[in-house]
Amino acid sequence: MKRFTCSGCSLLCDDIIVQSDGLFISEVMGACLKGKERFDQVSAKNRITSPLIRKDGELKEVSWDEATKKAIEIIKNSSIPLLYGFSNVSCEAQDVGIKLAQKINGFIDSNASICQGKILNKAKSLGINLTTITEIINKGDLIILWGANPAETVPRLLNKVLFSRGKFRMTGREIKTLVIVDPIKTASFRVMGVRDLPLIIEPNKDIDLIRMLKEECCSVDSIPSQGVAGIDKNDLKRLLLHLTGAENGVIILGQGVIQPHPDYNLVEELLELLQMINERQEKGRISLLLMGGHFNMAGFDHVALSSFGVSGKLEFKHNQLIKTDDTLVSKIEKENFDSSIIVGTDPISHLPHSLSSKIAKKPLILIDNHHTATSHIAEVVLPTAITGIESGGLAYRLDQVPIELNKIINPSNNLPSDEELLNQLYRLINQGGSE
Amino acid sequence: MELYKFLPKTNCKKCGKPTCMAFSLDLLQGKVKVDDCPPLLEPKYKKQYDALKELLGSEEGQQKELKINIDDKLCDGCGICVTVCPVNARYCPSSLSGKAPDYPPEKHQLFQVIGGKCELLKIEYCRRLEAGGRERECRVCETYCPREAVKIEYV
Repeated sequence: MKRFTCSGCSLLCDDIIVQSDGLFISEVMGACLKGKERFDQVSAKNRITSPLIRKDGELKEVSWDEATKKAIEIIKNSSIPLLYGFSNVSCEAQDVGIKLAQKINGFIDSNASICQGKILNKAKSLGINLTTITEIINKGDLIILWGANPAETVPRLLNKVLFSRGKFRMTGREIKTLVIVDPIKTASFRVMGVRDLPLIIEPNKDIDLIRMLKEECCSVDSIPSQGVAGIDKNDLKRLLLHLTGAENGVIILGQGVIQPHPDYNLVEELLELLQMINERQEKGRISLLLMGGHFNMAGFDHVALSSFGVSGKLEFKHNQLIKTDDTLVSKIEKENFDSSIIVGTDPISHLPHSLSSKIAKKPLILIDNHHTATSHIAEVVLPTAITGIESGGLAYRLDQVPIELNKIINPSNNLPSDEELLNQLYRLINQGGSE
Repeated sequence: MELYKFLPKTNCKKCGKPTCMAFSLDLLQGKVKVDDCPPLLEPKYKKQYDALKELLGSEEGQQKELKINIDDKLCDGCGICVTVCPVNARYCPSSLSGKAPDYPPEKHQLFQVIGGKCELLKIEYCRRLEAGGRERECRVCETYCPREAVKIEYV
């Protein structure tokens, strides 16, 4: 039986059974609720099926020629276009996006940059291993969730890493220890057993815990008797023993620890702690797994790395890559752009008002398959097929493993895929340049 | 366990069950009556017999039916019950490693995630009905559900 890959979240479950006749999907087996929603989006009410242009303040349906012409006009009239998104599209589309950015001298960045991009670079520089799902299933014995709640954000992650039985972990759940560090009792706490360690930490006190562990690293005797950050001494002892005794531990970082803080860099200190533990430990190690949201969040860094040797944001001038200290946030804050191309994301509702209002001031081209808050302010809306259902492509899973997505049904209204659409824009701009 | 305390605990097998523990479990589910245990009718167990009769009270004799309820509003299709269910694991080995079982399902299979929600396909092969001894007290699907959507009850 042929199995398909779900593009509902970054876990990219590759065991989904889909019953369809090539036009409609009748039944989806094996996918979680989040994946099912993704499949339902094909015929959702807010789906965009034809290109739209804003005329007199209202979006009007137009032909493809007219819409692309308008988009090219916006791009040509701007000197620093901002290309942002690229986490809900395939790697092929990301590649074309980077090519387009080079052609039009733009600044290109993905959702990962305000999410998890920096952690990866830091982890690599400290020599912390990134682990894969299969390795955790087969060898893992300690799973730490820090500021992550997979039971609600990536529903099948706990099923895979904690409950599945693998080659050297035949008993599955019994041999794996789960540690959760979180300020609130999330849904993930409900899978806790007797041997597991739930740590409810006081909000914004993670840094105290990490600094204490770093100072006392591997010496159980010198833990302060009153505990740290609302966690008592015995639990801290157990945490240290787990951290230093694990053979194949993994720490899963969620959105909870990624939030930036003006005084310190939480993730950096946490990674330094892991490095310290790994150095002192003889038989085992602790590796890292990042929990992303969009299905191809990890992909952009890989594509950028392979084509320009830089992971993360890219800025071009005179069709050449230039070194830049600007980030997406600083770029928007300083209003150092004069138009934006948003691909498969919704910055107007995701970013804080101080930033989103600045994006809204400049002309905006949206490439997406649904009406979102961003489509309400966009000048041009170019609809595309849904990647993973109506078009294929490559995507990187949350553990940086490339997975092939397949086309299951034909796109409604013969919509182009993200890759085809970006390619067409690229071609049109190329033609305009030679004239 | 309350009921087991009052049984003779001799494992004489006269009732047709392998152990007194098995008898007590069936007693709890109402499959057998107190009178089905021949030694209990002997005069020396008179006290225990009366205590058992009192404990079971009016419930005695009513066949209780096993039900596994899955709350559709709570379930998010994470598939943990599919993975941990020992019956699933025996008959669909692929579900051991967290993979979704094949479709159409194997005839012994209990759980399958369909359309983003977990569905109970059939209950006949559940360990609480089929297995003997301690395996009969299996409760893994209920214990490990992170949403508390799975509930085992006798109605």
